[in-house]
Amino acid sequence: MKATRVFQLTALVLVAVSAVQVGWWLFDQHAYTVEKVSAARAAYAEQVAAAQALLDSGTAPERVRQLLPGIVTSAGHASLAPELAAALTSEEHRRYRQYAWEGSFFLLALAACIAVIARALRAEAHVREQQDSFLALVSHQFKTPLASLQLSLETLALRAPSPEAARPLIDRMLADLARMEQMVTQILESARLERGRVDLKPEPLQLSAAVARVIAQLAERERPESVAISTDIAPTLTVVCDPLALDVVVRNVLENAVAAVKSAGGGRIALSAHASAQEIELQVNDSGVGFAPAESARLFQKFSRLRAGAGGYYGTGLGLYIVRRLMELAGGRVSAQSAGPGKGASVRLTWPVAAAQATSPAQPAVGQETRP
Amino acid sequence: MSAVILAQVLVVEDDPHLAAGVMENLRAEGYEVSVASDGEQALTWLTGHDCALIVLDVMLPGADGLSVCRTLRARGNTTPVLFLTARGDPADRVRGLEAGGDDYLAKPFHLQEFLLRVRVILRRWDWYRNASATSATAMLRFGGNEVDFRAFRARSWSGESQELTEKEAMILKVLAEHAGQIVSREDLLERVWGYDVFPSTRTVDNFILRLRKRFEKDPANPRHFLTVWGVGYRFLSEGEP
Repeated sequence: MKATRVFQLTALVLVAVSAVQVGWWLFDQHAYTVEKVSAARAAYAEQVAAAQALLDSGTAPERVRQLLPGIVTSAGHASLAPELAAALTSEEHRRYRQYAWEGSFFLLALAACIAVIARALRAEAHVREQQDSFLALVSHQFKTPLASLQLSLETLALRAPSPEAARPLIDRMLADLARMEQMVTQILESARLERGRVDLKPEPLQLSAAVARVIAQLAERERPESVAISTDIAPTLTVVCDPLALDVVVRNVLENAVAAVKSAGGGRIALSAHASAQEIELQVNDSGVGFAPAESARLFQKFSRLRAGAGGYYGTGLGLYIVRRLMELAGGRVSAQSAGPGKGASVRLTWPVAAAQATSPAQPAVGQETRP
Repeated sequence: MSAVILAQVLVVEDDPHLAAGVMENLRAEGYEVSVASDGEQALTWLTGHDCALIVLDVMLPGADGLSVCRTLRARGNTTPVLFLTARGDPADRVRGLEAGGDDYLAKPFHLQEFLLRVRVILRRWDWYRNASATSATAMLRFGGNEVDFRAFRARSWSGESQELTEKEAMILKVLAEHAGQIVSREDLLERVWGYDVFPSTRTVDNFILRLRKRFEKDPANPRHFLTVWGVGYRFLSEGEP
């Protein structure tokens, strides 16, 4: 990594020096030509002057033309032969054209080299920056539950509480572990998605059952008393999707909604689904902290964590990125809306109907037949 | 433990688990504890209440811990602050202390160390308050300068009024208590910081330079804050003859 960088920087310097040299060479050639041309013109002018002097002294024009072959005379007046003057001018122009072509070719080639190297350097810097911010984020996100775990364990060790008093500490430790486990999962999932190393096996799935399963898991783990979750999904609705991917997508969206509602001090989450001729849509509405409408696109970018989401301790900023990637891979899409901070939010997950079958969950999916 | 409340502590931490853990442990040690989950809550609470110590998380939603601390200091609130943070590299430590923090603890931390640091900060402030309790010890006059230890204010020989930081006031207090005697850098660190928070005793030198700039007529040739080479410092209230 470091050696490559040194090499690239060295190449950049060499190319830049070459460009300067080409520039200097052009300037030098130009000056040389100007000098040579003016010397030739001076020599011709001397010949013309000599011829004129000869004519003036009474030498016959034929004799003068014989002595000075480049001179023409007319009516006692000497001048340079037009073809000589034209040859000189054309030679001069030919030289300039040559410098212009060669010079601009070299300069263009060098500029292209500089652009390529600079681009590579910038791309590398960008990657490094991303890695740094990722590391900073991950270390912060992990250190908080770690600190909480350590504190709980040391409290148990220091104070040796009764089993009843220890219970809340143990619950807290389990929740901290779950948080860390979730983060590890998210990081691994996003890394796999990044490298395209996902093996999705689409199959027809009952949407209401998938949602119910995620809600049950959530209730078991977090017990969000202040959050009321309601669902309105027809049991006939089926999406064709990888079961794990569907679980991840619904879980991430729902966990986000729960965090947003918790941060707002409690509230409601409503899940509903609709089928149209083209697509099946799952909508998750929450009464949580919401976000500024301008931030709706940024939500699905990697590592974007909104400041408005007061649950600052929550999430790696990868959850919705994973949702977007998985939805894209399933041929669907995801979007989020909010009327503004404090006004709740709504996330829409949409699967195309080509991969969705509204009635018969038992039939094999179209997508599966094309698989090798 | 005992029913006697040792002191009131405000814990500012957005992570509910960590906040609960810190609160329970401080309560078990006999402190009275209030919890705020963000900087604004903390600042609001502090306008109506007094406390002996603020345990302040650096990474808070909204205004971060550093700016909360700066706001407090700008308001003239001198309550000691113990920073808790996930970032523990030396640059972050220095930033925290520059923002007006008294100490800095990186997450994850050891419970016993945390409790010890809380005790040390409170003990140091107890000493300072007791040492400035009487009207005789609250004021220090030397070389035309006048220092009010309770208000953290001073009027220098030129008539200029000065706002002292807690550390400057504490160093001055230690030196004034031992006027005429040599106080080593290590002693100053021990008395003012409690233990080695900084990587070097150079920090003490920087604080002495600041005091000289504030109170010496010619900071380059000090007459009150004298360096004793290789040992430490000596304070002369009369000035060197």
